[in-house]
Amino acid sequence: MKNALRELRAERGWSQQHLADALEVSRQSVNAIETGRYDPSLPLAFKIADLFGRAIEDIFVNPAKDNGQ
Amino acid sequence: MMYRSAAGRRYNRRFFPTIAAYVVALFGATWAIKTWQPDGVLLIALSILPALPIIAVLAVIGLYVVEETDEYQRARIVSAMMIGTGIMLALATSWGFLEESDVVPHLPAYWAFIVWCAAWGAAQCFAAFRERLAGGGE
Repeated sequence: MKNALRELRAERGWSQQHLADALEVSRQSVNAIETGRYDPSLPLAFKIADLFGRAIEDIFVNPAKDNGQ
Repeated sequence: MMYRSAAGRRYNRRFFPTIAAYVVALFGATWAIKTWQPDGVLLIALSILPALPIIAVLAVIGLYVVEETDEYQRARIVSAMMIGTGIMLALATSWGFLEESDVVPHLPAYWAFIVWCAAWGAAQCFAAFRERLAGGGE
């Protein structure tokens, strides 16, 4: 699933490891989510959204509404 | 080797003593059967002895899957296990039919576990390689 995780992380100057530690997951997990190779569960998606103070749909692109841009 | 989460560290703490128990049980049972040449219940008990730590290893692996809190790592490992299971079943089924036609020799059924472990490990390596190819890491 496309998402803005990498951009949000870059805005804050966080490394993948820093974000992984904050989410209590592995760095590989953050990388897999950022690159769209893994879709997080709802609990993890909420955790990510809470951490960045955004709604889930502000971070993750709804595949049904994804126009490819 | 498991990803080094708390569950991964617990896996290692459980795995190594269990596999050590397997080695002791295997050599102990083999020696006892050769030396005493028992029959009946004692032979059954000694024969099954090395299987018990292997069953315990399966429980240790199962506990890891249950206890792993990193859902991506868990999904990756379970996928690799499923690939391992598929390869093991495919090989066991093919071998069984080849064996019936006397094309290949008989193999003890415990080879299923060995093949499963090897295929699971290979699938894990392939997943790690694919992850590296995909890039994006820092």
